[in-house]
Amino acid sequence: MSAADYTLMKEAIWPIRLWQALVRRVGWLGFIATMIVAIAAIPLLFVIYSSGQLSLSGWQALWSERLPGLMWNTLSLAVLVAIGSFILGVSSAWLIARRHFVGRKLAIWLMILPLAIPTYVFAHIYTTLFEDDGWIGKMWLGIFGDSVAIPDLYNVGGVAFILSIAGFSYVFLLVRSALEHSNPSLEEAARIQGLSPSAVFWRVNLPLLRPAIAAGLALVVLHVLSDFGAVSMLRYQTFTLSIYLQMNGRFDYQSAAGLSMVLVFLSLSFLVFERWSRSRQRYYASATQLRRASLRNASVFEQAMIWLWLGMITLFAFVLPIMWMIDWSLNAWQAGLLDITFWGYVSNSLIVAAAAATLAIFAAFPVAFFHTRKHSPLSNTYIQLSSIGFVLPGPVIALGVLSFILAVLAPLYGGLAALLMALVVRFLPLAVQSQEAALQHLTPSIEQAGRILGAAPFENLRRVVLPMISNGMIVAWVLVFIDALKELPATLILRPTGFDTLPVRIWIEASEESLELAAPAALMLVVGTLPALWLMMRNEKQSIIKG
Amino acid sequence: MKKFWQRGILGLLLTTLFVPAVQADELVVYSGRKDKFIKPLIEKFTAETGIKVLLHSAKSTALLNKLRVEGNRTVADLFLSNDAGNLQIGTELGLFQPIDKNILKVIPANLRANDDTWVGLSARARVLVVNNNAKGLDFIKSVFDLSNPVLKDRLAITHSSNGSFVAGVTVYELSTTTPIVTEWLKGMKENAGGKLFSKHSKIVKAVASGKKDIGLVNHYYIYRHLAKNPDAPISILLPDQQENGMGVAWNVAGVAISKYTKNKAMAQKLISYLVSEKGQKQFAGANSEYPVREGVPAASEVPAAGSYKVADVPMSELGTHRIKTLDLLDQIGMP
Repeated sequence: MSAADYTLMKEAIWPIRLWQALVRRVGWLGFIATMIVAIAAIPLLFVIYSSGQLSLSGWQALWSERLPGLMWNTLSLAVLVAIGSFILGVSSAWLIARRHFVGRKLAIWLMILPLAIPTYVFAHIYTTLFEDDGWIGKMWLGIFGDSVAIPDLYNVGGVAFILSIAGFSYVFLLVRSALEHSNPSLEEAARIQGLSPSAVFWRVNLPLLRPAIAAGLALVVLHVLSDFGAVSMLRYQTFTLSIYLQMNGRFDYQSAAGLSMVLVFLSLSFLVFERWSRSRQRYYASATQLRRASLRNASVFEQAMIWLWLGMITLFAFVLPIMWMIDWSLNAWQAGLLDITFWGYVSNSLIVAAAAATLAIFAAFPVAFFHTRKHSPLSNTYIQLSSIGFVLPGPVIALGVLSFILAVLAPLYGGLAALLMALVVRFLPLAVQSQEAALQHLTPSIEQAGRILGAAPFENLRRVVLPMISNGMIVAWVLVFIDALKELPATLILRPTGFDTLPVRIWIEASEESLELAAPAALMLVVGTLPALWLMMRNEKQSIIKG
Repeated sequence: MKKFWQRGILGLLLTTLFVPAVQADELVVYSGRKDKFIKPLIEKFTAETGIKVLLHSAKSTALLNKLRVEGNRTVADLFLSNDAGNLQIGTELGLFQPIDKNILKVIPANLRANDDTWVGLSARARVLVVNNNAKGLDFIKSVFDLSNPVLKDRLAITHSSNGSFVAGVTVYELSTTTPIVTEWLKGMKENAGGKLFSKHSKIVKAVASGKKDIGLVNHYYIYRHLAKNPDAPISILLPDQQENGMGVAWNVAGVAISKYTKNKAMAQKLISYLVSEKGQKQFAGANSEYPVREGVPAASEVPAAGSYKVADVPMSELGTHRIKTLDLLDQIGMP
């Protein structure tokens, strides 16, 4: 570049100046992270803009009429689901990570399989099962007769039940992985000092597990706050459902945006609190740790009790729903309803989910890496901003992305771009979280060693960092894939014309009460998730062998 | 292997990103009507005219939102909804354009938009479904009798977010007065006792099984249940047929042409087909609804149109008045 060119560039217009300043200030990594966070924040900007148009009296009306009830509904549901997921997730994780029993590998699978079933499918199946002529309803009448009414799912208890069995797997995954990677010496030392096994759990395991439990519960609670499927099927008014009804029944975007603002505020303060409570404790696994906790053999009685508990969890969280799906799918198959268009929905779903997951892990890496490197207020802000997708309801994200694309990238409209963008924005936090978690395990000294041995930054990244966090990358991909495969509200709005995916079909068929068409679609969702889960589990095993 | 995957997905992405799904010579219908009712009809239309039709199904309100946000970028040529209220709101948002009067004139004026921007295609009636073995229901002549405390825990109604429920309340409010409707809703809320139904079909099922004695539904849910269970002990009760009664509330499903369509001629062809005698029979017949074209009879099991009194409310009012109805339901705290 000649000197003249250089002066020309220096005097260039302000965007370039800004760009130069940005790159100088935060480096290339920071610059890319900035761009990604800017895209992720588009729906938030849309919400701020729309709610800015809400008049003062509009705010007052929201504040006095809707907010107290919604706040109570949403928060009580979140607390109930957190308790439910804690009990189910931590107990199953501890049993599986610390006891050796027959069918332990199978049990691991059974605990993560519920991830494959979307909340709206759970809600739909359980409302059917709990009817008079449903499996559970019939059994209930057989046992209790008419004296005790069949439980009604259209209330906070019902929704909490559905969301707990749909979400506890997140807690299970993170807690189990933390237990397996925790240093057994600590537990052994405690035992030698004379603590009973239960005291070890409460005084050693649980404090050490706090980050994992917090992260798992955070995921669960965020899923609750943004859940659309179950609450809309069960008509339980949370923020998300109310926002949807404002937009769809009344075409009142401003009130919807106002409610979204409150929801965002609520979720962000929750996230900040969660991060703050975690930031006060950081555990590095020592780099020399080679030994893994040995599993104690469970006695026959213990095995029976373990399986009784795990069996009950899996019965409700997976076996009953899957049996229902298979039952109705057989009906559909016999009636010849599974034609070529059905397989089209399957491939549409897989393509969209795989593309979204791939884009999301590429987008998430700079943000997560930037934060692990810098740990600055800026990088922390980026992490919070990238969480936007998780705290805004799907329909709002969809409208935000739609408005942005129509205004700025109009030629892209009509293809999959809008849908993929919304999915990436929505599930970016999943990818960022799991990559960041993996990066945190990377003791800074390892990276420093690479640099000392002469690796350039990029080579260091490629040869040291990426291989070491490849597990985290794969987990991130799988988590996004699974959620994108199940995603409903944004897909409903943004899918290209005539482009139906499995969730869309389930939604349409279930609202038409054509169970024989909804069931095979739900079943295919589960089947489509299996390879992804397998990939995640296999990878974990390899790392165990290596590690 | 990983590289292969990455490249494959990238390639797929690039193709899908930039290739719009819609072909130029294809009609795109944003459809809020159940797929299985509309699909056979569309297939016949394509077979007869050679015009291809792409159905994009979702909830009517969601599609209306989509149309609104898309503006002139929309690919939709037509909008099909199960609720006259949605059609009228689309008209008020300026999303549609007038349809040729010559096509519309076969449909009665109160079943289409004043400015010809949408036209009704089939009608449904808000009726009562009664269990034949239930005692002491003889006093019920009007929907307003449903608030009678005698019916405590015997009444089945849907959640108030149901589109048909909202449309019905609008008709009753316009036919009587707001205080009457307010009192009525409060009484029904009391009678339903917290147990509300998410679907009309579940109401019919509950009444047939004797769990509830009476329910407020769209007429075709009764015939759908009877088709599957011919011996079910239920019958239809047409309310408000007394001398000064307001008559049964109707609602129509209908269609509109998008303001930004580039295929208006083709779109009008589809509408002509839908309002033709043959099209009317199929469109309404798929769901035991009433054809709206005069002279085309409904299915034989359904009480004939004209044999009973229908509330005198133009269908367009279902849209203009909807927000008021929603406010009223909110104010009462109707679940």
